[in-house]
Amino acid sequence: MSVPSISLRRQSSGAAFRGGAFYALLVFSVTIGFVLLVTLLVDVFIKGVPYLDGVLFFDPPSAIPERAGARPAILGTIFLMGLLLVMAVPIGVGTALYLEEYASRDAWYNRLLDLNIQNLAAVPSIVYGILGLAFLVRGLGLGRVTLAGAMILTLLVLPIVIVASREAIRAVPDSIRQGAYALGATQWQVIRRQVLPAAIPGIATGSILALARAIGETAPLILVGALTYVAFNPTLTGPFTALPIQIYQWIARPQEEFRLLAAAAIIVLLAILLTMNAFAIWLRNRYQRRW
Amino acid sequence: MRLTLQEDLDQLEASLQEEGELVLRSLRGSLNALVDADTELADEVIAFDDEVDARYYAIEEGIQSLLARQTPVAADLRLVLAMLHDNLHLERMADYCVTIAKLTKLVEGIAQDATLLEGFEEMGRRLEEMIHVALDSFAARNLEQAESLVHLDDLVDRANRRVVGHVLALGGDPERREWGLRMIIVSRCLERIGDHAVDIGEQTAYLVTGEFREFTDASHPGGPPGTAPREL
Amino acid sequence: MHMTESAPVRIASVNPQTLFETRQGDRPTGETLFSVSDLKVSYTGVPALEGVSLDIYRNNVTAFIGPSGCGKSTFIRCFNRMNDLIPTAQVEGHISYHGVDLYGPEVDPVEVRKRIGMVFQKPNPFPKSIYDNIAFGPRILRMQGSLDERVEQGLRRAALWDEVKDRLKESALSLSGGQQQRLCIARCLAVEPDVILMDEPASALDPISTTAIEDLMHELKRNYTIVIVTHNMQQAARVADMTAFFSVKVSDDGKRRTGILVEYDETPTIFTKPADKRTEDYVTGRFG
Repeated sequence: MSVPSISLRRQSSGAAFRGGAFYALLVFSVTIGFVLLVTLLVDVFIKGVPYLDGVLFFDPPSAIPERAGARPAILGTIFLMGLLLVMAVPIGVGTALYLEEYASRDAWYNRLLDLNIQNLAAVPSIVYGILGLAFLVRGLGLGRVTLAGAMILTLLVLPIVIVASREAIRAVPDSIRQGAYALGATQWQVIRRQVLPAAIPGIATGSILALARAIGETAPLILVGALTYVAFNPTLTGPFTALPIQIYQWIARPQEEFRLLAAAAIIVLLAILLTMNAFAIWLRNRYQRRW
Repeated sequence: MRLTLQEDLDQLEASLQEEGELVLRSLRGSLNALVDADTELADEVIAFDDEVDARYYAIEEGIQSLLARQTPVAADLRLVLAMLHDNLHLERMADYCVTIAKLTKLVEGIAQDATLLEGFEEMGRRLEEMIHVALDSFAARNLEQAESLVHLDDLVDRANRRVVGHVLALGGDPERREWGLRMIIVSRCLERIGDHAVDIGEQTAYLVTGEFREFTDASHPGGPPGTAPREL
Repeated sequence: MHMTESAPVRIASVNPQTLFETRQGDRPTGETLFSVSDLKVSYTGVPALEGVSLDIYRNNVTAFIGPSGCGKSTFIRCFNRMNDLIPTAQVEGHISYHGVDLYGPEVDPVEVRKRIGMVFQKPNPFPKSIYDNIAFGPRILRMQGSLDERVEQGLRRAALWDEVKDRLKESALSLSGGQQQRLCIARCLAVEPDVILMDEPASALDPISTTAIEDLMHELKRNYTIVIVTHNMQQAARVADMTAFFSVKVSDDGKRRTGILVEYDETPTIFTKPADKRTEDYVTGRFG
């Protein structure tokens, strides 16, 4: 009895070709993005590294390039990010907890809240600037101070923190909550001892995203009154400036050296951002290790 | 592991052994009543059968419950089935003791033949020995000991066959003949008790080997253990 | 010789009637722990379970069996007010515990759950160390005494201590499925409950772990009252003293399916001579 012959060889070459072409397209996209990014970074580094010196870090800005520093701007950015963290994370996590753990899904006001949070994330940042000018600077009478700048940035990034925190809280399996309730825990105990600790990695990630968004914002800060020429250190209720604004100001100057200084300031900005990232990643890993 | 199952099996087996003890007492009582022509004792033996029956039903129900609840398999299943059969054999043995007691009452007042009664006493002692062996070999799961029951039963069977001849030799008056006929039934009861004891031994063999086998079969003589078994 | 003289007796004589009775625990003459009367549970107005009345006895294992959708999980969750966590669930009727109405106005669900613990179908250890899992209950309830002792006792009672005593600080998630479930039982025992509810405790486990859990139930019932839901009726036959069979009642138009209690009796009776034909059909496997 003869065995019928079957062919296990590839039937059509078309499918293989399409598979390969798709793969090539993907690789091309990655390459383009990567190459662009690397080009930008390399350009900035080449221009800016020579200007990373004490003058940049410790001296106030000046009309003379050799003596121009970015100390007020650096301190301003760090100060703003610190305030942002202190304000945005508690409010954002608190809102996320309310929506996920306490609110009843069907109530109309909760659904309205839900919808609006999504919308807020899409609002252009300059609108936040106008809002800040009208309500905080003039309306509340705060004036053009650091606190106002921090508050407006908080509003700007709040949707990011809320959404990320909600995702993190939602990702905690319901079986954990059930197990805790069944042992006689109150709702607050369940949240404080099970849900929040388990959600910290996600919340930390959300905070990183929020800070990364905020650190580069220029328009709302200008509207709220960040000055372009500040010679002194910023205080909570005093005038202020930030690195993006300083960078913008330097680029606008005619002298070539100021552009190179701007590149150096960009490197500093990136360094601050990477440091914050590293901290948040460390925090996330420390809590994730327990899983 | 399977604590409940093990507990249940142990309890059932203990109850079965206890039933065996009651059967021995019933047998001793019926023999004594017969040999001493003691009708009061005979009445006690008949009443005592209620105790055996109570154990019988309790064990039946226990086995039913265990099968339904624990779904035993393999050796556990064979043990339960063996106990189910042994329960019946013990209860039948006790019933035969009652029959002997009833016959004792029926022959009240008639003169007895001492030799025949001695023979019954001898058979009785043999039977007591067999019941002990049957219960012990079951408890110990001892195959050889169980198989020895066949040989012990041979003696009882031979004694039974001699009784008919003895009764015919008695001859004589109608009373004597009536007594003789009733004694043949007594002998038959004793012989059947012996058979049930052998059956208990067969159950032990089934439990140990997993094969259904009769030690001897009347229609297939020449069957000492080692004959090819029938597998069901 | 009279019958009152006994032949040499080899075993201590115990009346087998008594043997079989004492094995079953203290019911039905035992103390009633829960009394359920005409219970009905609905989700957004649609009844999932209705007309349930039965008593749970102390130191018994009581099993709820029945086809899926018959409301047995819903029912067991009524005993520790876990249905409160589902906003759409509504409980009507009466459950009393030690004579106190569980759903009375002054009753705090948190207090209820301290006394009536629960083990779930899929083991749900917290993402913490083994020690912290067991210690969680005593910590939040502020129980007095040495925490180390409570943890050890809980683990011993759940027959898990020997296996984990050298690695209490390791993550609970590193344990096998059967060990995780025993961890959840230990966690429940550490708060010293009165009653342990188990919702299909072994359905996610392999056969050996299942037998270990069943043996554990046999040990635990000496000190606790256990109620289990199981879709494996052979398991109910093996472990339970009392068994309740639930089934589904379909409305005339075929659209509504509601759970009802069909029969509740001692386990041997349910599995040897059930009174209701529906019970007989279910336990013999003739469902259609």
